[in-house]
Amino acid sequence: MKRIILFLIAAMAVSTACMASSKSKADKDTQKWRYEIECAGTGTAGTYLVKVWSYSKKQATATNQAVKNAVHGVMFKGVAGGRGCATQRAMVTDPSVQSAKEDFFNRFFADGGDFQKYGSATGVPEVVKVGKEYKVGVVVSVYKDNLRKDLESAGIIRGLSSGF
Amino acid sequence: MKRIVILFSVLLAAQIAFSQAKKPTIMVVPSDAWCNENGFVTEYDNQGTMVIIPEYKKAFQSSMDLQMVIAHINGMMAERDFPLKNLESVIKSIEQRTAEDNLTMSKTSGATLAESPLDQLRKTAKADIIMQLGWKVNQNGPKNSVQFILQGIDAYTDKQIAYAAGNGEPSFSAEVPVLIEEAVVAYVDNFAATLQAHFDDMMENGREVSIDFKVFDNGSGLDFESEFGGEELADIIDEWLNQNTVNHRYSKTDGSENYLYYEQVRIPLFNASGKAIDTEAYAKDLRKYLRNTYKIESKVMTKGLGKAVVVIGEK
Repeated sequence: MKRIILFLIAAMAVSTACMASSKSKADKDTQKWRYEIECAGTGTAGTYLVKVWSYSKKQATATNQAVKNAVHGVMFKGVAGGRGCATQRAMVTDPSVQSAKEDFFNRFFADGGDFQKYGSATGVPEVVKVGKEYKVGVVVSVYKDNLRKDLESAGIIRGLSSGF
Repeated sequence: MKRIVILFSVLLAAQIAFSQAKKPTIMVVPSDAWCNENGFVTEYDNQGTMVIIPEYKKAFQSSMDLQMVIAHINGMMAERDFPLKNLESVIKSIEQRTAEDNLTMSKTSGATLAESPLDQLRKTAKADIIMQLGWKVNQNGPKNSVQFILQGIDAYTDKQIAYAAGNGEPSFSAEVPVLIEEAVVAYVDNFAATLQAHFDDMMENGREVSIDFKVFDNGSGLDFESEFGGEELADIIDEWLNQNTVNHRYSKTDGSENYLYYEQVRIPLFNASGKAIDTEAYAKDLRKYLRNTYKIESKVMTKGLGKAVVVIGEK
């Protein structure tokens, strides 16, 4: 009986450690913001349809980070056009904002943070093995109108009517 | 006394902090090229030269696509807290106002409303920023695609301050209105982003305006070469602009003894007391300066937020 309990505790500890490792691995990859973002078509009004290619040694980690990377891309990188898509500029045009509002962005992009409200993954992920890691492409619908409004309210970006 | 000074300073600071700059008006107008392409133009012979002018009213009455595109753009800009003036409604308002003005007369003498030829000429649809819109449906075999252009033109400096342009994805099945709608959705954000950059620049470096100076030919002999205290009037005006523009930014594009044209004049958005000002208010400060310092009378005529004409000599 004692052995079974010990075994269960050990199994739980290993499982927790693995999850934590996966999470920290995901965070580590996300902190480097290693991803590519491209247009995946014209979304419905108020959304961008983008395809995000995230990199990680674990396929699941890359898939899990897709929405976070997509929202980050729309905010800071913009989306390259082509194949009938218009190039979309980054929402945050002032590069100093990222460091000036570091606390806000740390909270925003933390696991379970507000970024989740602004994107949802659709379709089946596309997986490509690149060397020792995976490159996973996920189509994400980013609710850019809501995102822009909330960033304006938080004072991260200026609205068209700011100052008037 | 000290308390009053502190209170006054706090109130002044609060007024400056919470002041709102004068908001420019924006209106979407179909481009001349689009009107010409779709037959919404009138041609007339102006002394041997054929002149083509767009017929906006006819375009609105005939093209559902145009109405749809403008409604979409208006909606998307309103959603950004920046509602636009609607050209079709403005045209109707002008017609209604003209009809009412023509029928208005006083009860006692039967006098009609005073109106100069210049007043009549100015009764046109106006906005501070014109969004010129155009699109063209291109066919490549069975596929349709839409070429889309949206330009933001400052009505006073004639500069393109915002733009979005591109080609939509060719489609076998989508109907033309759907392709146009997709183009609007795809390009309006880029347009808004460039417009935002223009507004950010305005907030930082002041409003860019143009001011024309002219002289009334009233036989007084006053012109821009007349001297006051050893300085020519043109130099006095130039120095005032130098002292009262943001970062001393202004350009004199042309001038003679009878006129001075200034462009790229960066005026502050607020005066010293924190009140939002436009070009008319700015030019009136110059008028006061000329009257108080040199006893020169002048008349200020406004042409919207960003353009004023100062006529020297009398009112």
